[in-house]
Amino acid sequence: MADDPHRFLPLSPAALHILLSLAGEDMHGYAIMQEIARQSGGQYKMGPGTLYDNLQRLMDREWVEDLGQRSGDEDPRRRYYRLTLSGRGVLEAETARLAGVVREARSRLQSTMPSVHKPRRA
Amino acid sequence: MLRHLYRCALRLHPRGFRRRFGDEMLSIFDHEQGRLAAFRLLLDGLVSLTRQWALRQEFWGELPPNQALQPTPIGVPSFSTIDPFRPRSAAVVPGALLSIALFCATCFAIRYSWIHVLHVHIPEVQFERSKWVPPSSDVGTSSREDSVSPITKGQSSPTISITSHSPLAQQPVAPAVATGQARGTPVSKKSRVESMAPSQTMPATSTAIAKSLIGAEQRSAAADAPLDAAEREQVIQGAIRNLRRYYIDPAISQTMAQSLTKHAENGDDDEATDGETFAKLLTMQLRAVSHDRHLSVIYNQSAIPEGVTGPTPEAIARYRQEMERTNCTLEKVETLPHNVGYLKLNSFPDLQLCQPKIAAAMASLNDADAIIFDLRDNHGGSPGMVAFVASYLFDHPTHLDDFYNRSENSTLQSWTLSPIQGSKLADKPVLVLTSAETFSGAEEFAYDLKMLKRAILVGERTAGGAHMVRHRRINEHFSIGVPDTRPINPVSRSNWEGTGVTPDVSVRAPEALRTAESLAEKLLQK
Repeated sequence: MADDPHRFLPLSPAALHILLSLAGEDMHGYAIMQEIARQSGGQYKMGPGTLYDNLQRLMDREWVEDLGQRSGDEDPRRRYYRLTLSGRGVLEAETARLAGVVREARSRLQSTMPSVHKPRRA
Repeated sequence: MLRHLYRCALRLHPRGFRRRFGDEMLSIFDHEQGRLAAFRLLLDGLVSLTRQWALRQEFWGELPPNQALQPTPIGVPSFSTIDPFRPRSAAVVPGALLSIALFCATCFAIRYSWIHVLHVHIPEVQFERSKWVPPSSDVGTSSREDSVSPITKGQSSPTISITSHSPLAQQPVAPAVATGQARGTPVSKKSRVESMAPSQTMPATSTAIAKSLIGAEQRSAAADAPLDAAEREQVIQGAIRNLRRYYIDPAISQTMAQSLTKHAENGDDDEATDGETFAKLLTMQLRAVSHDRHLSVIYNQSAIPEGVTGPTPEAIARYRQEMERTNCTLEKVETLPHNVGYLKLNSFPDLQLCQPKIAAAMASLNDADAIIFDLRDNHGGSPGMVAFVASYLFDHPTHLDDFYNRSENSTLQSWTLSPIQGSKLADKPVLVLTSAETFSGAEEFAYDLKMLKRAILVGERTAGGAHMVRHRRINEHFSIGVPDTRPINPVSRSNWEGTGVTPDVSVRAPEALRTAESLAEKLLQK
């Protein structure tokens, strides 16, 4: 039962960033927080409450799965998360959507720019 | 410490969320360095707590671990249950807010609106009350009524002349009238102190006599010749002169003078082209400064004669009619259950005219075990009548009040003429009912008895008018009522001007009678 990912677009910024972080590799919660901070250049800092709340909702949608604890990890309380196939699909759809937005924005802004610089006829 | 708090916050989360993520969140807390980070995490924890309880109802229960889906083995029936209905979690918060709001609204409505409807007061039979309109043509008279009730002074000499009355001795308890007795101390050079027995002319024929007369005249006034600025100026100057000379508070009369002049300069008076409007306008301006409801400027259609003291014969006749019509403003006299006497008096009428009626009323209540004076609709009147009624309540002459006249620097004492022969009320409990309408002479009655601890006041705080007014002519059509005398109670060395008389038992006026009755009952049971 593959839901059309486009139904869920646009994603909330938090969900987008979480999925993006997990796209690279499996991570535990704290690492996701750090990755999000890094990706946004320190501008978007997510607290654990928000993180796990979103993670749970992503897991309900089956875009993320819980891998459980890893043996030998320095902190045994940590649990790792992985992006599922459908999660990856949603992320790709969202990326494509955003790319389209950026394209559109660029073309519009460029077309208006020359008129700004048009010399005025006296 | 902060870690402990964070753990508490985590423990307060819904069970499912706590079980699922509690450890992870705590591990993150342990990883973060620094106090600032810890505080931020704590704040985040509190926000998360709120969010989980308010908006994530679906997370309250156990959360599935949600690991990779197990495929159902073949041959084993697999049931997909339809989710039971759950209200949207997003509806919880607004639903709760709405419930709280409705609950508060209901409590508020119960507390403030309907209680008043339930206590419907069924009014007793009311006699038609006369509304007195301030007179204008009386000069050189003094009173203490709602606005102006002149009292004759006999001659225009500063002292109150003491004349005798024919005692109206038809009633068994009619007082032995003292004639021409001055109780005061010998006259000194600086000030003159005279006392006044209730049979004086001080409260004489004029209380409200001229009032009703002038009222009628004003009512029947046709359109007058329009006022011009010159006459307005003359009236203002006349008013200022009288205020400066006679008003009890020189500082306030100065302020009033300035205010009148200023209004005239600003052109505020220009619209008042007829006498009545102008008089009302000036009255308003004066009262705005002084807050003294005894001050008034009065316009009289017919010419005010010069040098006349006391009310005109027509004024006297009209007042007499009014008193006959209203039974000397005795609205009700009866005996309530438990033998409590009740007397509702709506003014303190002129003593000479109404002494028999009032004496008869007091005689009819002579056997009561307690007495309630209902002054809730009493706007004052004659100080002599006040003293007369109070005389029934003492068995020896009692000093009620002093009346101090600033311009003459003289003081008049008011004493009761106790004991009243045959009266049995001198040692009975007395209750006085007051309302916010109780004014002037009625306030004196209540205040004096309160200071003497002779009565219990039940009701509302009274209107606060203590000054006694004398009317003086300004010109042919205008006169001004200037309070020139104020009472100074011998016990408190003060009076109730502005503040009103505070009741001993504070209840709303409609409930005062009921309260007084039960209070009287309690007093009598002891």
